[in-house]
Amino acid sequence: MWKTLTKFAAAGLLLAGLAGCSSSDSSDAGDKGEKTASDYPKNNLTIVAPSGAGGGWDLTARAVAKTMNDTKLIEKSIQVENKPGGGGAVFMATYATKEADNDYMLMVKSPPILINNEKAEGNSKFGYKDTTPLAQLTRDYGAIVVKNDSPYKTLDDVLNALKTTPQDVTLAGGSAPGSMDHLVGIIPAFKSGIDLKTIKYVSYDGGGEAVAALLGGNADVIATDASTIATYVKSGDVRVLAVSSSERLEGELADVPTFKEAGIDEEFTIWRGIFGPKNMSEDAVAYWSEKLQAMSETDEWKAEVERNGWQSEYRNAEEFTKYLDEQNETIVELLTALDMQK
Amino acid sequence: MSTLQFLADGFAVAFQWQNLLFAFVGVIIGTAVGVLPGIGPMSGVALLIPVTATLTSGLPTEAAAASSIILLAGVYYGAMYGGSTTSILLNTPGESSSVVTTLDGYQMAKQGRAGSALSIAAIGSFCAGIVSLLGLVLLAKPLSSIALKFGPAEYFSLMLLGLAAVSGLAGRSITKALIMTVLGLMLGTVGIDAVSGIERFTFGQPMLFSGIEFLTIAVGLFALGEVFKTILEKDDDDGQIAKINRILPTKQDLKDSAIPIARGSFLGFFIGVLPGAGATLASFFSYITEKKFSKTPEKFGQGHIAGVAGPESANNAASGGAMIPLLTLGIPGSGTTAILMGALIMYNIQPGPLLFDEHPEVAWGLIASMFIGNLMLLILNMPLVRVFAKVIETPKKYLLPIIIAISFFGVYAVQYTTFDLYLLLACGVLGYLFAKNDYPVAPLVLALVLGPMIENNMRRALTISNGDFSIFVTKPLSLVFLIVAVSWLLVPIFMKMRGKNVLINEEA
Repeated sequence: MWKTLTKFAAAGLLLAGLAGCSSSDSSDAGDKGEKTASDYPKNNLTIVAPSGAGGGWDLTARAVAKTMNDTKLIEKSIQVENKPGGGGAVFMATYATKEADNDYMLMVKSPPILINNEKAEGNSKFGYKDTTPLAQLTRDYGAIVVKNDSPYKTLDDVLNALKTTPQDVTLAGGSAPGSMDHLVGIIPAFKSGIDLKTIKYVSYDGGGEAVAALLGGNADVIATDASTIATYVKSGDVRVLAVSSSERLEGELADVPTFKEAGIDEEFTIWRGIFGPKNMSEDAVAYWSEKLQAMSETDEWKAEVERNGWQSEYRNAEEFTKYLDEQNETIVELLTALDMQK
Repeated sequence: MSTLQFLADGFAVAFQWQNLLFAFVGVIIGTAVGVLPGIGPMSGVALLIPVTATLTSGLPTEAAAASSIILLAGVYYGAMYGGSTTSILLNTPGESSSVVTTLDGYQMAKQGRAGSALSIAAIGSFCAGIVSLLGLVLLAKPLSSIALKFGPAEYFSLMLLGLAAVSGLAGRSITKALIMTVLGLMLGTVGIDAVSGIERFTFGQPMLFSGIEFLTIAVGLFALGEVFKTILEKDDDDGQIAKINRILPTKQDLKDSAIPIARGSFLGFFIGVLPGAGATLASFFSYITEKKFSKTPEKFGQGHIAGVAGPESANNAASGGAMIPLLTLGIPGSGTTAILMGALIMYNIQPGPLLFDEHPEVAWGLIASMFIGNLMLLILNMPLVRVFAKVIETPKKYLLPIIIAISFFGVYAVQYTTFDLYLLLACGVLGYLFAKNDYPVAPLVLALVLGPMIENNMRRALTISNGDFSIFVTKPLSLVFLIVAVSWLLVPIFMKMRGKNVLINEEA
């Protein structure tokens, strides 16, 4: 019996796919007239989050997929895949080589695409120049988080402990040493003149595992994204000591001081953007540029951004590439100061 | 409100006609996903998310979320029921969690006991499903806090225990089993190191960056190895061994399986609760435990029903256990639960500490529907045993090409690279050579799974302790695991030295 049923299911899927196909074609034709000689996309699309589920990349990829499909901007079904490992370096290697011509696979990335390419240890041969930047979508900030029963009440408490008894403080994050969570975690220490080599940093596979380590008492302090930690703040499990933004955030974290307020003259923005493969065809780039721009203006996307506690910041392909060039310089400076540069 | 009251409300949600239908469709698709190699529960669930989103679009958000997650979870545990089928019939593990089922399941099928093996797998899965659900209802809160206590040191020691127990998978020679274990550990180091991001043994080849895929190795060694063996040794005495005697297990079979099912259920449930451990490990641990406690360990590997009943119960129980960290902490313990979490987030329902307070309808509706779904699966699977068991009667000349096709299809569907197909072929040849020379392949496969986890957790633990190895013995849970691991290895040796006549894995 199950055979018949699966056949029906398969037929249903096929029909749905065909229906989706024809309607998207006609709407495109209406928008751009003769220009739609391209039949991209012919297949279903994939957005890869190069981390485990539950982290910032993952949530962004899922939000894009959901908004595109819900608003019918893109009728083809968009899958989100998780490809964790090496703070994103594992998938980056595949993406820059094996998938360099795959117009159907996009990737959500953030500053590690720059950091991994510039740092000495755990260097990724591939950087943003091995991709086609399509758009910046959001910005987020780093957060320094402790468990609710932690003796550390302020960022100063943590820094003092790091100064006096660094062997007793375990700092954890969801990505490898020298990557974003690590940088967020040690910027305050660096600015306070603490010897960075004495700080213990433990990397987990994704922000979710880092939170688990914090809740279980296997880490004293974690550095993670401000947006993903809000739900644990609401439930009263954790306290956020500082955020890396220039101004106070809204919502759940409104009472949390910024790095500046805590006496650390530095900020760190976690932008998130969407990238295509290096050799992406012009048709595909044009298609995504248009769709992403349209998406960033929909109410559904704005609702999604607000719900996740992000801040919307849209840059188109050209602006984004320029912004990446600038950001890259900043990060090289920071890594040089940390003596971790390539 | 008490737990019972919440559960009753959950059943009220689960018994709504559309949710019954959703659960039913979910478990049917799940069974199919489990039977077909290549489409694992992870891709099965991911593929269905957009479909359920469309189906539930008319309902209010909360109800839509409950209905969707009921269907998707149905696929998840349904796949655990179906996963054993190809392992038993074709020696081709469809999911990594059913690799260990091939050891005794396929032997049983060869002896004409495929029906018993398949139905005991279904019965075991059902019992385990119910046990893990009861655990989920009663123990979710306390267990989630214990799971959190599992730090890197505890994980390391638990994995080490698994490795120490590898001798339980040995054939006649423990030396050969150890050689295979080390080979597996070495293969596990290939790829980009997850702790530091540095390449190891990749020789600059991008296809090796993400490591060697476990399923490719397992399918190659088990399924293709068996195919090559049959062809090369002209082992084609069709008809005699392939007859099916009966569909239902005998009274003796049931008696032999009762304890393994119970043990497998509890073991699987607790391992499932730990994020990152998962169903594969649960099934391996269960098999090793059964062999250790069995009065007739020499029968394992030759078609012992306990070798099917235990692991199949364990992997199903693990899928129930994995719901605990997902629902109570918002921490997915496996790839599939990560996708389930994504589906919930799509409906603006954040799994985590607040789920049971903010969305009791979704959480308890899901739990209640899993009771119903497990019952559906048992009723559905028992008649299917008759159909599937016929597969084994297919003459070898047709069956072998089918196995080869399924293996290639399955591996390609997971990896999408031709490199893995060559690797699959190579593993097939190796699998034949290993089997011919009496090198057991199961330790290699287990070590390949455990190796990277052992290594990463050890390095994390040592970072926390400032390089002090005493962290592994000062943490009580970790110490317990280490003591068990050491005694697992030493006790048989001591007993042998004292001249007692105990059965251990002697040198051939």
